[in-house]
Amino acid sequence: MDPTIKDFESAIAELESIVKTLEEGDLALEKSLALFERGVQLSRFCHAKLEEAERRVEILNERGEIKAAPAALAGDADDRSR
Amino acid sequence: MADLFDIPYEDEEPPLEDPRFEPATPAPPRIERRVYTVSELTAGIRALIETKFGEVWLEAEISNCKVWNTGHMYFTLKDGGAQIKAVMFRTAVRYLRFKPEDGLHVVARGRLGVYEPKGEYQIVCEHMEPHGLGALQLAFEQLKKRLHGEGLFEAARKRPLPALPRRIGIVTSLDGAALRDILKVLRRRAPNASVLIRPARVQGDDAAADVATAIRMLGRVPGVDVIIVGRGGGSIEDLWAFNEERVARAIVACPVPVVSAIGHEVDFTIADFVADLRAPTPSAAAEMVVAATEEFRHRIDRLTGRLRAAARGGLQRRRAAVHVLSSRRGLAGFAARVAMRGRHAAELTHHLRSAVRGLLEARAREHRGWRQRLEQRDLARRLASIHGRLTAAEGRLTGAAHKTRHRADTRFRALAGRLENLSPLAVLGRGYAVCWNAEKTAIVRSAATVSPGDRVQVTLADGEIGCRVE
Repeated sequence: MDPTIKDFESAIAELESIVKTLEEGDLALEKSLALFERGVQLSRFCHAKLEEAERRVEILNERGEIKAAPAALAGDADDRSR
Repeated sequence: MADLFDIPYEDEEPPLEDPRFEPATPAPPRIERRVYTVSELTAGIRALIETKFGEVWLEAEISNCKVWNTGHMYFTLKDGGAQIKAVMFRTAVRYLRFKPEDGLHVVARGRLGVYEPKGEYQIVCEHMEPHGLGALQLAFEQLKKRLHGEGLFEAARKRPLPALPRRIGIVTSLDGAALRDILKVLRRRAPNASVLIRPARVQGDDAAADVATAIRMLGRVPGVDVIIVGRGGGSIEDLWAFNEERVARAIVACPVPVVSAIGHEVDFTIADFVADLRAPTPSAAAEMVVAATEEFRHRIDRLTGRLRAAARGGLQRRRAAVHVLSSRRGLAGFAARVAMRGRHAAELTHHLRSAVRGLLEARAREHRGWRQRLEQRDLARRLASIHGRLTAAEGRLTGAAHKTRHRADTRFRALAGRLENLSPLAVLGRGYAVCWNAEKTAIVRSAATVSPGDRVQVTLADGEIGCRVE
């Protein structure tokens, strides 16, 4: 991922300030194009992050070990019954 | 209650003129079976109870207290050893000067009755007064007051839920409805979500310690960005673990936001007060966690839209500005004037260029003329003089070289004569000879070194002879 983007939250914050700056206008053309490009980059990053997570259901036991949850919990029992 | 049932029915007077309930008189022989219907028996019990305990005063603690929409209040009255279902009708509830709550220690006046369709007996309370606070309730109020004093309920210390939790932590019982509800919501609304469950007992003596440990452990797992602590509904006793200080402290110390989801909407626990967010139910907790992500998704979509609009707007503004400028009257003939000026400038440039070119060419011609004259005169003379000097120098050099060579020659001859006298070979001239081996690499100094048939080389003053040893 782009090393200039720290994380999801900061990407949103930066995107927000870019949009605000652009909306206020009165920027040199080059500057506003650069801002626009950065904005598109941030927006892509956020969308990618949203889709990135993968479904997992796991259990943390008393010894601090992480194990896959029993199928009854992890599985899609509801989906099957539908 | 036991004695109630020990009393032989026959000793009692017939309680009612209930035709279904004729005592079996005379005293029955043991062998005779008296078979009741359930209704008959229940009616008998009802008559018995209502007669024996018409109106009673009870000192007890309230539990499972619920006020229905009808305004009637249903609850349980209990002490350390037993409990009895109780109801208070709206008309009586209206006259109470306090709000009956779970854990409250009360003295109640009421009539015992039997609800036949369910075979349950209960007390219908007509009046109630508080009898100090119940122990649990008192503990609850005390802890609440203390933690509130520490500022732990302040809105300012509540953290927002993460926009995109990498992992959602859940502390609850593995086989409870709460977990199933949470997972169901997540499956439906956040199919990508990653979940880490830390099972904990949520009821009983060890529950508080277990829940507190679970929160601490989950909070330390990297990637867990939010924790849901929950359990389904129950009595105040069932939910009690969540009113204990150790659970509250674990929530406060948790490095990531905690959502409490304990019991039903009407149940409030200390955990709810200190949690970063209180959800009315476990399902609602899951919805809230997911909603944060969805809200951010919408925010990003909106921002992306605004970004494009702003960029488009910027371009349009510029285009419009250019249009306005070019259509102003003062500027209307601008382009034409620029073109005219341009032609004029081009003409001027052309004139200037040819003028300069003429000037430069004249100067160049002049320069060439001068150079020729210089070359013709000056350079020729200088070359002639140099040539003369060279010839003279050459003559002197040749003379000197001749002289030197001659001198060297004479000296060489003298040296060679002297060298010849010194050479061992000079003796050959006097009749000596030198005998070499065939390869002429060594002089044969002893007869023993050669054998008959060997070839040797003999050097004389004026030449060599190849010889064979006999």
